[in-house]
Amino acid sequence: MKLPNNGANHKTNRYKLLAIIIAVAALVVLPFCIESGYIKHLIIMACIGTILGMTFSMLYSAGLITLGAAAFYAVGAYTSTVLVMYAGLSFWVALPLTVMISAIMALGFGALFVRNAGVAFVIISLIFAQVIVIAIGQAEFLGGWGGIIGIPRPDSLGPVEFATKHDFYYLILAFLLLVVVVYTALYSSRIGRAWRAIKLSPNLAGTLGINAYRYRLLAYVIGSTTAAVAGCFYAHYFQNITPGAFSGWLSIYVQLYAVLGGLEFYILGPAIGAVIMTFVPEYLRVVKEIEPIITGILLLIIILFFPGGILGTIRNSANVSFEGFDARVKKIKASLTGKR
Amino acid sequence: MSLGLFIQLLVNALTIGSIYILMVLGLDIILRGTKILNFAHGQLYMLGAYVLFLFFQTLHLNFALSLVLSGASLALIGALSYLGIFAVLSRRFTVSTTFSYILLLSAMASVGLMMILQQGTLLVFGTQERGIQSPLPQIIDVFNVRISLMRLIIIFLSLLICICLYLLMYKTTFGKILRAVSYDPEAVTLQGINTSWVFVSCFALGSALAGLAGGIIAPLFSVTPSMGQNIIFMSFLVLLVGGIGSYRGTIAGGLLVGLLLSFGFQFMGGIAELFVFMLVIIILVFRPGGLLGEAAE
Amino acid sequence: MVLLKIRNVTKIFGGLIALRDVSFDVNKPEILGLIGPNGAGKSTLFNIISGFHSADKGKIIFKDEEINGLRVDQIASSGIGRIFQEPTLFMQESVFENVFSGFHRRYREPVWKAVFYTSGAREEEVTKKKRALEILEFMDLISARDELAANLPHGRQRALAIAIALASEPDLLLLDEPVTGMNPSETMAMIEKIRRIRETGITVLIVEHDMRAIMSLCDRIVVLSLGIKLVEGPPDKIKEDERVIEAYLGKQVV
Repeated sequence: MKLPNNGANHKTNRYKLLAIIIAVAALVVLPFCIESGYIKHLIIMACIGTILGMTFSMLYSAGLITLGAAAFYAVGAYTSTVLVMYAGLSFWVALPLTVMISAIMALGFGALFVRNAGVAFVIISLIFAQVIVIAIGQAEFLGGWGGIIGIPRPDSLGPVEFATKHDFYYLILAFLLLVVVVYTALYSSRIGRAWRAIKLSPNLAGTLGINAYRYRLLAYVIGSTTAAVAGCFYAHYFQNITPGAFSGWLSIYVQLYAVLGGLEFYILGPAIGAVIMTFVPEYLRVVKEIEPIITGILLLIIILFFPGGILGTIRNSANVSFEGFDARVKKIKASLTGKR
Repeated sequence: MSLGLFIQLLVNALTIGSIYILMVLGLDIILRGTKILNFAHGQLYMLGAYVLFLFFQTLHLNFALSLVLSGASLALIGALSYLGIFAVLSRRFTVSTTFSYILLLSAMASVGLMMILQQGTLLVFGTQERGIQSPLPQIIDVFNVRISLMRLIIIFLSLLICICLYLLMYKTTFGKILRAVSYDPEAVTLQGINTSWVFVSCFALGSALAGLAGGIIAPLFSVTPSMGQNIIFMSFLVLLVGGIGSYRGTIAGGLLVGLLLSFGFQFMGGIAELFVFMLVIIILVFRPGGLLGEAAE
Repeated sequence: MVLLKIRNVTKIFGGLIALRDVSFDVNKPEILGLIGPNGAGKSTLFNIISGFHSADKGKIIFKDEEINGLRVDQIASSGIGRIFQEPTLFMQESVFENVFSGFHRRYREPVWKAVFYTSGAREEEVTKKKRALEILEFMDLISARDELAANLPHGRQRALAIAIALASEPDLLLLDEPVTGMNPSETMAMIEKIRRIRETGITVLIVEHDMRAIMSLCDRIVVLSLGIKLVEGPPDKIKEDERVIEAYLGKQVV
């Protein structure tokens, strides 16, 4: 059970702070401990996956289920690529422009899409993602289905270069941490509370003066813009993009991250899910023919038997043992006083 | 445009439209009855085609019988899937479970089912296309326009299935209960009706419709493992255009999308799908609940 | 002073007339009861006032402004709070968080400051937390503040629903069957609470089937029957009114 915010005492806060510092330090040191370029690549992809998973969670926190996480990921990747390769802009100019363009797009499309919460939004988000892929595939100047190759890595900022995986990791890590900080601030502010209220009971939220449409739109725009930035980083990291890389499958994987890690954990859930879903399939490659079957069965097992995801299951088992303890204490007390 | 081309495109539109209608009626029955947005629907459609292939092409049964068998087999597969997956899942939901949670977990479970069915079929049947010899290869001549008889039969059969479905839903007690469940499962439970078998029937009925759609279309196009993935997007689109929870809307939406795609591909080529999507957005701007649907959820 | 004016409100659902030409006033601060047999249109009227439906004809004027046709959240922001007939809470959250969510429209600091967690925003959070505890104290829920709303017994869920509405600081509070399903002692306690809510200056409009509760609680009562306003007046007059008795017992009398 969650304690109310005022119940958290200074001790737990201090432990939390310590855990965060250790985690960040570990992430900073991580690339020095790893030799293999391939593992480094997987770590970078897991970071991008985490960011995408967190955008899914942000929409879910407002009661919107998106199957189109890949849509703005693709928009960001292609926008930035076009700005850098065709318009000749520096990556560092293209990045804020990408943010602006995708935010405006998200605002326009979101204004139409989030009017239909529930099933209709799920379908619309999925179709929108698919349409973006088809549109890019049809557009000759975007390279069609063959995609674009030879996208440059981000220009160096003074002495800081981003040419190698090692350097790029820090760039993506910095962005990841920024997203974590901003999202945490949002979730713990009254915006986050309004999102939760809309998700838990739209009717009650309405009678408290919460404009569900506006708050859902806000979540959509923030989530989509974040995904677009992730796409921008992906394009300049991977250096070639094809429409196929942004198919509906990617969106499904993204929600898998959130469900696997734990739906109620908007930050840590996607992180754990993304790391597992990036590394495990790599080792399932040996059995490539039945890999989707194994993934499917795993998915069903998680949903049917561990619906809280990994973190939710850990928390629940911790609570159960506490409750069991409480119950035993009560029993002993009752037997001592001879009542009930 | 010549009259001949027009009639040909029209017949094509009606053919694909009627397949969409069957698919979406199934999706809609499942969605409203059991609150599952069924991503495995395309795979059920594909399985319907493979079952027909087995009975008709391999075992040389009569086409009508094979079709009935493929509907029945899919009903069975649907019922088993429901009992094995979704019935277990629904036990986790209580009165206070939020709608978005139910929707997400059910949809994800159907994604799991989709992956298993998709890859399972691929393993059993391989990637190659399977052609089915058309039971009615004749070409008929209307106003000097050559139309494949099979296409007309497909339209006719779809119409027949729709009529049967209408009679089932509106003229039988079973249909009444099914419809009542989609509005208010609790009230039905209070009436003393055991709702769990109703949910199973909803899923089985929806799956059977997908199977029939796959079986009907199989002689026209070849049977491939990817046929399910291709149709699911358009089916979802039709569901939106028609409006969730409206049979008439589904039929109107299916025909509209069929027409747009058929004529669109002829005159615009590959961007026809984009065009259809634009249209869907425009429709949803003015009617958020779809063409004939009730207010959005 | 008239807080809410209902003027000639008519609502038709698919040919069925739910409300016909209903007019009455709600004064500040009073407790006005809205009673009538099942299907009289009480809930429909509540839904119209709070914006879940809009009236087909007529006007709803709250604090001298027409509110008919506004969205639910706009009406709520203008100062109308409500509780629902069926338990409607943020079930997966603690009792404390439930009340805290009620403050949404009552922050003075701009939202960006809340996100950046400036010192002003922090102070405001602290005062809101104190206020939430006060409200919980007032509704006798303080002992359950860490429990999940879903785990509360029925009576306390009703109390929590009112606590959330109080957090939104309404001028007018709509209560849909606040004591239905409660035992006599719970009912007594709730009636006392509603009286005290009125003493703080909040006007209360209440729908209730428990006649004894409503007769003892209300200053005035409006009786609806089959979508039409039958009578309006103080409880003593309503008790003896022939038409009201007939409306309630109609079938047996005939």
